[in-house]
Amino acid sequence: MIADMTLSRLLAADVGYLVLPVVLPLLGAFLMQPLARVSARGARILGPLLLVLSAGITAQLWLQLGDAPFSLAIGGFAAPLGILFYADRIALLFALAIPVFALLFWPEFGPGAGGRDQAARRDALMLLLVAAATGLALSGDLFNIYVFYELAAVASFGLVALTGTGRSQVATFRYLMISAFGSVFALLGIAILYMQTGTLNLAQIAQLAPETLPNPIGLAAFALMLIGFGVKAELFPVNTWVPEVYAGAPARVSALLAGLVSKLAVLVVVRLLVLIFPQPEAAELMLVLGVLGILTGELAAWRAKDFPRMLAFSSIGQLGMVFVAFAISGEIGLLAGLAVMLHHLIVKSALFGLAVRWSGSLEALSGAAGVSPLASALFVLFALSLIGVPPLPGFWAKILVLIGLAEGGTPLDMMALMALLLATAIEASYLFRVAIRLYEDTPTPVPPPARRDLGVAALLGALLLAVTVGLKPVADRLGEDAAQLGERALYIQTALPSHVARKD
Amino acid sequence: MMSFTFETVVLIGALGLAVIGALGMVISNHLFRMLLALAIAESGANLLIVLTGFRAGGVAPILGAGDPAASMVDPIPQVLVLTAIVIGVGVQALAVALLIKVYQAYGTLDVRELRDRMDADVAAAAGVEADASQDAPAGGRPLSPAPSRGTAGFGRRSPAPADGLRP
Repeated sequence: MIADMTLSRLLAADVGYLVLPVVLPLLGAFLMQPLARVSARGARILGPLLLVLSAGITAQLWLQLGDAPFSLAIGGFAAPLGILFYADRIALLFALAIPVFALLFWPEFGPGAGGRDQAARRDALMLLLVAAATGLALSGDLFNIYVFYELAAVASFGLVALTGTGRSQVATFRYLMISAFGSVFALLGIAILYMQTGTLNLAQIAQLAPETLPNPIGLAAFALMLIGFGVKAELFPVNTWVPEVYAGAPARVSALLAGLVSKLAVLVVVRLLVLIFPQPEAAELMLVLGVLGILTGELAAWRAKDFPRMLAFSSIGQLGMVFVAFAISGEIGLLAGLAVMLHHLIVKSALFGLAVRWSGSLEALSGAAGVSPLASALFVLFALSLIGVPPLPGFWAKILVLIGLAEGGTPLDMMALMALLLATAIEASYLFRVAIRLYEDTPTPVPPPARRDLGVAALLGALLLAVTVGLKPVADRLGEDAAQLGERALYIQTALPSHVARKD
Repeated sequence: MMSFTFETVVLIGALGLAVIGALGMVISNHLFRMLLALAIAESGANLLIVLTGFRAGGVAPILGAGDPAASMVDPIPQVLVLTAIVIGVGVQALAVALLIKVYQAYGTLDVRELRDRMDADVAAAAGVEADASQDAPAGGRPLSPAPSRGTAGFGRRSPAPADGLRP
């Protein structure tokens, strides 16, 4: 009995550390300015240090607690009265990936262009983005999800406007407007959900949903929230900010926004879909918007004449595919969605890393292979994986989506399948066009990517190849992740008070 | 038959505000008007959330004052709305600051003109040829352009952008 109590207390104490990956960067963001006054060097290392710490804490928690999901009642107030963090394997995976990717694409480790004050401001915004993104991955109630979503939005406005050029400011303003427009929609959706169920706790809404939400009102709430959270996820009608923002922002910030932040918005939508809106109409709506995203994104990417905007449009198309994948019913949909999502996270971030120096037109890139053979080889590797050439992971991700759609078999599924195949052909066309240009025999002065970005891209490329070699264990793990993500009962059981681990 | 109580009227009003604001954001061609429309839409959404916790004749949700819990208005939507208002104010302030910067850079706040000039800027920065303006008629104009009707200060600045305002 006593041993049992000590064990549970130990376990509870460990769970409490889950707040640190959110709290530490948040604290750091607000300490950054005063610290920069005292010691510029201290302020510069504060950000990376906190990120390493957060990643370490998350990894440690994961190793100690294993793969079973757990939840944490913040401040000891049990849900549904209190707010909670819910950590399953996917949430922990993202909580780990966020600080790691933020470190890989940290804008500047040195003082940078704008001097000490600018550096402190930029680092503070980065920490804010990391805290908000981690909070988004872990939050278990709509209130906190909304707050963290807004926090991530505000931090990204600041980061996008960093370059200070007129075009980046116009881009930021339009991004802000569309984002605020989306927030109004999300708020309306949340209001409807609250009106119907009387709670904001995801688990409790999930419990009440079967009686209160399978009706047109529930569907309207989902549609509103899909549009609202879809802004960051580059969903079809609310993605007009994407090309100009990614063309105007610093490329490393673009890498984070396209790679990481968009996936967290997708994760929120998937949680809503799995827990609260299991009705087929909700998934169909997502499927249609996803297909439109695929077609418009890929066609625009085919027409693009410069590298960052080509990547931006192609990322719209890829995220459309993520939405299509998650719209497939059953576990195969979740598995396909996770595979496409994680693949895009790795590949698109790395490509934006290459775009730091290759920000010019595609024509100017001809002959780049002569200057930097490694960068060109990496581009070809990522391009092949994006198109889906076996045996690279991109192929397996795409084939999962195709199999899922074929199994679904409804006319909508078939339409999505055809759109996907068409998109693959378009993708191959424009990516190969660039690849051929890279290996042209015209010696032009193309700047080679900086050693740091090249290192990051090489690292992610190596990860991609490692997954190719060890596909079986990775696929098995991902399958278990998807199974856990899809278990509604498990979420409710873990998140609701009688099972919540209390903090002492 | 639905009776038009006070709550129903306010509910319809809140939804109406949100719709007016959202439409205004989509159809206005001036950045400042878009911002005003955003403020209207946000107040509509906020009003709707407050309404979800409203109880006719309810009292403030403070325990210990002797009122039974059943007669209190729901505090959670109020908390949510307070948060939403604060976030909204912050975002709007940021938007105004950005508007000033945009005006300093381009000397106009007209969406169409800004879009063309930003596209040209993006293309120039990337070293590629810009696409034709989205507002330009396909195949060129058969007649010479009509003299533009400049609205003073608000709307499209014409005929020439004020280069003196650029930093």
